[in-house]
Amino acid sequence: MYIGIDLGTTNSSLAVFDGQAVSVVPNAAGENLTPSVVRLDPRGNVVVGRRARAALENDPTSTRREWKRLMGTAELLSFGAGSGRALSPPELSAHVIASLLGDARDALGFAPRAAVISTPALFEVPQNHATVEAGKRAGLEEVVLIQEPVASAIAAGWRGDGAGTWMVFDLGGGTLDVSLLETTEGRLRVVDHAGDNFLGGKDIDQALLDLVMRQARAQLGSSPALRPRGTAERTGPRPRRALERLQVACEQAKIELSRAREAVVLVDAADLGLGGAAAQDSGPAPTEVVVTRADLERVMAPFMDRSLTLVQAVLEKNHRTADEVARVVLVGGPTLTPLVRARLGQMFGGRLAEGIDPMTIVARGAALFAGTAGLDARPRPSAAPARRGLSVRIEHPAVTADLEPFVVGRFLPSPGESLPARVRIERSDGGFASAPATPSPEGSFVVQVELERGKQNQFRLFAEDQARAPVALGTERFAIVQGLSVSDPPLGRSVGVACADDLVQVYFPKGTPLPARRMFVHRTAQPVAARDAKDALCVPVVQGESARAHRDRLIGVLRVRGVRDDLPAGSRIEVTLQLDRSGQLHARADIPALGQTFEEIVHLLVPTATVETVAREVEAVGRRADGVQRRAFEAGAPAAVTASSSVAGLLLEAERSLPEAEGGDADALQKVHRLLLDANTALDDAEAVLEWPDLQTESRRTALYYTPLVAAWGTAAEQQLYDQVLQAATAAEKARNAPELERQLEAMRAIGRASYSRNPRALESELDWVAAHVADAGDVARANHLVERARIARNEGNQITLRALVAEIWTLFPAPPELQQKSFGSGVR
Amino acid sequence: MAGIVRPPDDATTIENAFRAHLENPFFVLALPPDASPLDIDRQSQKLSSMLAADLAEARRYATPFGPGERTAELVRAAVAELADPARRLTHEWWARGFAGAATGPEAGGP
Repeated sequence: MYIGIDLGTTNSSLAVFDGQAVSVVPNAAGENLTPSVVRLDPRGNVVVGRRARAALENDPTSTRREWKRLMGTAELLSFGAGSGRALSPPELSAHVIASLLGDARDALGFAPRAAVISTPALFEVPQNHATVEAGKRAGLEEVVLIQEPVASAIAAGWRGDGAGTWMVFDLGGGTLDVSLLETTEGRLRVVDHAGDNFLGGKDIDQALLDLVMRQARAQLGSSPALRPRGTAERTGPRPRRALERLQVACEQAKIELSRAREAVVLVDAADLGLGGAAAQDSGPAPTEVVVTRADLERVMAPFMDRSLTLVQAVLEKNHRTADEVARVVLVGGPTLTPLVRARLGQMFGGRLAEGIDPMTIVARGAALFAGTAGLDARPRPSAAPARRGLSVRIEHPAVTADLEPFVVGRFLPSPGESLPARVRIERSDGGFASAPATPSPEGSFVVQVELERGKQNQFRLFAEDQARAPVALGTERFAIVQGLSVSDPPLGRSVGVACADDLVQVYFPKGTPLPARRMFVHRTAQPVAARDAKDALCVPVVQGESARAHRDRLIGVLRVRGVRDDLPAGSRIEVTLQLDRSGQLHARADIPALGQTFEEIVHLLVPTATVETVAREVEAVGRRADGVQRRAFEAGAPAAVTASSSVAGLLLEAERSLPEAEGGDADALQKVHRLLLDANTALDDAEAVLEWPDLQTESRRTALYYTPLVAAWGTAAEQQLYDQVLQAATAAEKARNAPELERQLEAMRAIGRASYSRNPRALESELDWVAAHVADAGDVARANHLVERARIARNEGNQITLRALVAEIWTLFPAPPELQQKSFGSGVR
Repeated sequence: MAGIVRPPDDATTIENAFRAHLENPFFVLALPPDASPLDIDRQSQKLSSMLAADLAEARRYATPFGPGERTAELVRAAVAELADPARRLTHEWWARGFAGAATGPEAGGP
């Protein structure tokens, strides 16, 4: 029995896969969706779901919802004066998960011990970590995460609708995920995905609320201009309750407008402090505001534009067109809106997958994935079963697309027991029987079996001794489901170590299947004093796609301190990063010279911006934007202007959310921070355009310098590779693709250096250079000493020693301090 | 030389590059460079099951540089690398370059 949980921003659900079919487990109210709302009643009892949501109107201070965006932050959400308690986002999520698990226990007759929980594809490591924590708090022994688009694609693919390229458009309460997937030969692969952590139904609801407020003011004769948020409209208990009621009403109106042409929203004008004589005259009676579908589509239009821009970007990045997408799977309540279906249908020629409930598709897919991963939710037997025969361990896929998978077994005889002489495997329906196989001296066997397509195949293992008498086995039977195989959940963003020169050593490229582990050797960029707890060398771990560390997100810092002996600069340090299936980060550093291992890693949460910091950042980004745009106009570079054109809108949205943030809305704070990150990324793109002419010059100089070196000293393979790289660089330059050109230039330099190293005079030239620049070394005394030793080796004609010494001298040349600071204070090269 | 030349690859960089070659997906999976997607899928499933059953014969693989240590993560990473057409091309190029030079256990693959 396999369980999948969709932990949504607005609603959550739980599904079960029994090996044959998937079903959604309804809650106690008989509904498939449980609102992601938690309330603490006056007695301190936890209430989850619809009953909690019903209290939103009258008791909003004791009720919390939509905290998903705050997962991975240190934010605590208070529950008002009544209970005086505050809960973290993982604690809130744990209550929702526990409620779903309780429903499952009632339906299945046992308390589930394991489940797959969905997260947005762009959730970063700290957010994934928080989700696992929530599952464990809810009582699960084992939690595996799956990205929501993968889950929904699995659910849609399970219907066996054939191969091809798909897109998953997941517009939920708080996030948008766009994913490109391929199904080939029964194997599902995520090609790429992108998203916006701050684009969802909640944002559409807010825009609709703004419209309703404007219309209400107009009807009441007060100024139609929006009053800034964070004022009396929100801070008093009555206005706050009224605003909560209005938010719920707007959300309901949005849903109603999927079917109806208009909806009526009741506005408590007096409680909301909406001015005007009409408000006074109307007294406590609410003001009726009529909202039409056209109104909703008008407020949704900018969000749809943003969404489709993201869709187009994913397609272009992967060199695909909308025509090549065979199906678009819609996920999330907001996709039920006619406008969403109309715009997407227009873009994809109507090829929208129909007949799949967008509200529960993720939970269904998560349950199916639990089956693929063999994550049985049933409790483990408390005691080992009575031994009935020879112990054997059988390994096989739980679910596979392959019609002829392998089954691997290993006998584990107790003292006095013998290994069988022969084994064979038969399918219970009589449709397959393997040839006899002889176990190895280790007691193992590998047998290829045949599956019946599209069903659960039951098998039995037989063993016999030399005399052909049957041997009783402790385990005989097993099952394999023939269906869609899923590639491991891919890593959403690249993870690596930030080096002191502000470059990133990528450990796990985007798309790496999880779990994953990698080790790279680095060199320390600075000395570390012995037994000095304060003197720490930092190994920053970052997540993101930029080759420049400071543009990526810092997710953890591994600290090397308390070394038992002085550690000089240039010392070898072996860093191992490990990401488990949930994307949780583990790290260690081994220093062979000391025989010490360091595993102190500070997990950095999604940075929580303070109001003061964010306000200054808004100003700083505004100034930067002005500077970039001025340079763009002066340089006559319209492409740079285009690249930065989104910045004005992002800054405007950030400024609009600032007052809300000042009013204590943590969600708004995070939103502003994210908007500024997006603005900075757009400005980075614009600056890349402005720097293009310099990059072109660098490209020419690099080719001019290294081409003759490779021609003179490179091997045939190096020359061939260099030609390919040169062509790729030319293509990148033609396409004005700066990141790609930078990559190819780096490859040219690497091949060029490798070729040049075969020049007998190369080493001597390098020695002359470092000797002339020894004053720039981090450890000048050591550098001088090494130079002297290198000169002796050169005079003796000892090339091997000379090469090693020159390489060691290079490690003493540090990156400029400003670069190191930019790179989160990295202490490694 | 100092104008556009950055410090050359030191022993660290060479070592890291060597490790990348050691973990060429075709070596890890003990498959030829022209292996089909079905071959890759099937072989990876077989190796994963053998590793899960803790079979000694699955723990090492042959490379031109000596035997490598095979792990479940390495097998999964190898499959993902070969599923990406551009990355597969690079790995094929290197594997063909070293074709026939593999040494160590399981030169022919389990």
